[in-house]
Amino acid sequence: MVLLNLGGVECRYGSVKILEDVNFVAKEGDFVGILGPNGSGKTTLLRSISRTLKPTKGAILLDNKDIYRMKSVELARQMAVVPQDNTIGFSFSAMDVVLMGRNPHMKRFQMESESDLTIAKKVMEMTRTWDLRQRSVSELSGGERQRVIIARALAQQPKILLLDEPMTYLDIINQLEVMDLVKDLCAKTGLIVLAVIHDLNLAARYCSSALLLKDSRVYVAGKLEDVLTSDHIKRVFHVDAIVRKHLVTNSFYVIPLSPRKAPIARGCSIHLICGAGTGTWLMKVLLDEGYSVTTGVLNVLDADFETSELLKIPAVSESPFSPISEKADKANLDLMRKASRIIITSAPFGLGNLQNLIAAKEALKNGIPTYIVDEVPIQKRDFTDGKAAKLLAELVEKGAIVVKNGSEMLSILNASNKTGYAMREPIGIQGHIRARADNSPTGN
Amino acid sequence: MADNKVENAYSKRSSRWKLILVALVIGLFATLFVSLNIGYKSISFVEIFNMFARRILFLKPYIDASSVNLYDEKIILLIRLPRVFAGALVGATLATAGVLYQGVFRNAMADSFVLGASAGASVGYTLVALYLGSSVSLFTLGYGQAIAFLFALVTTLVVISISRVGSKIPVTTVLLAGIIANIFLSAILTILQLKAGKSLTGIVAWLSGGGFSNIAWASVYAIIPAFVVGIIVSYFFSRDLNMLSLGDETASHLGVNTERVRIILLALGALITGAVVSISGIIGFVGLIIPHMVRLMIGPDHRILIPTSAIMGAIFLVLCDALARVATGASELPVGVITALIGTPVFIFLLRRRKTSYSL
Repeated sequence: MVLLNLGGVECRYGSVKILEDVNFVAKEGDFVGILGPNGSGKTTLLRSISRTLKPTKGAILLDNKDIYRMKSVELARQMAVVPQDNTIGFSFSAMDVVLMGRNPHMKRFQMESESDLTIAKKVMEMTRTWDLRQRSVSELSGGERQRVIIARALAQQPKILLLDEPMTYLDIINQLEVMDLVKDLCAKTGLIVLAVIHDLNLAARYCSSALLLKDSRVYVAGKLEDVLTSDHIKRVFHVDAIVRKHLVTNSFYVIPLSPRKAPIARGCSIHLICGAGTGTWLMKVLLDEGYSVTTGVLNVLDADFETSELLKIPAVSESPFSPISEKADKANLDLMRKASRIIITSAPFGLGNLQNLIAAKEALKNGIPTYIVDEVPIQKRDFTDGKAAKLLAELVEKGAIVVKNGSEMLSILNASNKTGYAMREPIGIQGHIRARADNSPTGN
Repeated sequence: MADNKVENAYSKRSSRWKLILVALVIGLFATLFVSLNIGYKSISFVEIFNMFARRILFLKPYIDASSVNLYDEKIILLIRLPRVFAGALVGATLATAGVLYQGVFRNAMADSFVLGASAGASVGYTLVALYLGSSVSLFTLGYGQAIAFLFALVTTLVVISISRVGSKIPVTTVLLAGIIANIFLSAILTILQLKAGKSLTGIVAWLSGGGFSNIAWASVYAIIPAFVVGIIVSYFFSRDLNMLSLGDETASHLGVNTERVRIILLALGALITGAVVSISGIIGFVGLIIPHMVRLMIGPDHRILIPTSAIMGAIFLVLCDALARVATGASELPVGVITALIGTPVFIFLLRRRKTSYSL
């Protein structure tokens, strides 16, 4: 069983501490993503494991042997490195470069043997560089050269592969091919992979575990799904992000939202009646503009409900696929009473959420200004045989203001409107269906 | 089938390498032979051929002994032959030293002369000649070579430590530090020369880049060990040099103990520079021109670069020496003058295009 063990590793450049107290274990078959913002010490960590930067404290053990006490050749037989910078200023052929990967397995006085050539050929076919073998590496494109260097690393037949930003030079298909290849080796040969990855989605898709660095320390480490959560992303990268498991790839994906502006508190609270994703955009912009936002009643698993969870918006919720209960309705009315405005989005209405409109009528009666965003004609989203349409008409009659879309809504609310609602794909019934498909039952 | 293709590509390459080497060895022998003919006294090719042929047992009966003038034979065997051999050995060694220095520093401008190793060696050797040697004979080898080696090594290390910026050794600072070392050491040499007075007239010619006149077989024998060790050991490190050319980090990831290899090769460079300088004085630019030319011709692989450079260096210096003998009629030019005349434009050319060649 191959084990890589980091204990209390600390690294400095001069007097500046770059890494502190890093503890970590990787074992056979692990694909470990080293994640974190710029300057958090990712590359330094990789450099210390690749024996380029000796830690000032702590130890890095490979199968219980201190790598800094091993011979270079001994380590090179077990560990290969794909560096960030892949320029080669010499006209070695691609084949020559790959054969250099055989160096740790060769004796000083040897030329490459038949088996070295066979191994080189195999790894070059795996990385699709065999056709480039006669070409000079200095003439190859960045992506081709990167694949040659990955082939060289594989020719070392390592137990551990270190990748520093391996995707820098690769386009999307090359990224997927290379990552699939590496992942496959992990699974089949028990290769340990440690990769510094900027792209959280790539990390989410391929890594089995991850190390999230923040301010020179390990913020959290462990299984990917425990590390890559929207909460951790928020705390480490200061970005709101949605993390989901994709049904097609069966792996996680991350959707970052643009960073929150520092809101100016407007002392104005808004209650949203929405659903099926129709309130998501408004929730975000209203928060950004400094309004306090509440919402309800939303079914758990509804896209808008998940947004409210993510943005920490107080929401009244109901169990999935259930009509609004009396209890939820009451809670919703309580929230509405505290609001200074109520906005009804172009949500689809069915018998399940019709109660929300009745509640809105109640609030309007209490004198709370109510707005109806009429982006999609009610006929298209009324699944109550006209009951919803009737209720909306009554609201208008009682003084609710109809606005064309979210942007107009915002300008009415005297909020800036830089992103532009109209540019967005309209979210209607189709959005409602799509939002459903995206929701995983384990999402909450 | 496919595996045969790999084999083919590679056996093709190694047979190409063999072809290059065989052709160069033939070229070297031709050069040696031709240059035996060149000199103040004209001795015909036929006569030279007969001189050698009659010493070879099975050819002896066929050679007309009267065609060989005994006086001419003395000139050839005792004056010209050691001279061309010395030229070949020195040229090969300087070119090898150049390859080593350039590989170790990943810098196309590095060679024994530029790094000050030659100047250091000559100071060391002159000191020995002055204070240890009972006479100023240039052929008290042994001591002289050892001290020359030490001085060459120390000078190289000093130049490197002056020019190091962080972990890198940029071209410009190496050149500057080399110039400084050369100026300083030549000042020391001048002092030593004055101190020695008349007794050093022999050494003056030797110092001014002039070293092959009056060379005897003893000097040729003395340089052979350093030459053999130099070529063989550097050849053993040719794969390490290949990997060093990809950068220190990459080399060490591929299993090269970069620090150790670098120290071994620097010491080796100093050793062979010291040995060479002790018999031929300072001859500049051979280690610069030859490896560069060879690299353009056959590529960056040190496994072929080292032997090819050695043979090309030998051919080059033997030709330069032949030119030095006849260029100005009766009096000889120091061979260092010829190499400097050819080397300077190459040096300038290299300096201009260094951005595209070595990355440092």
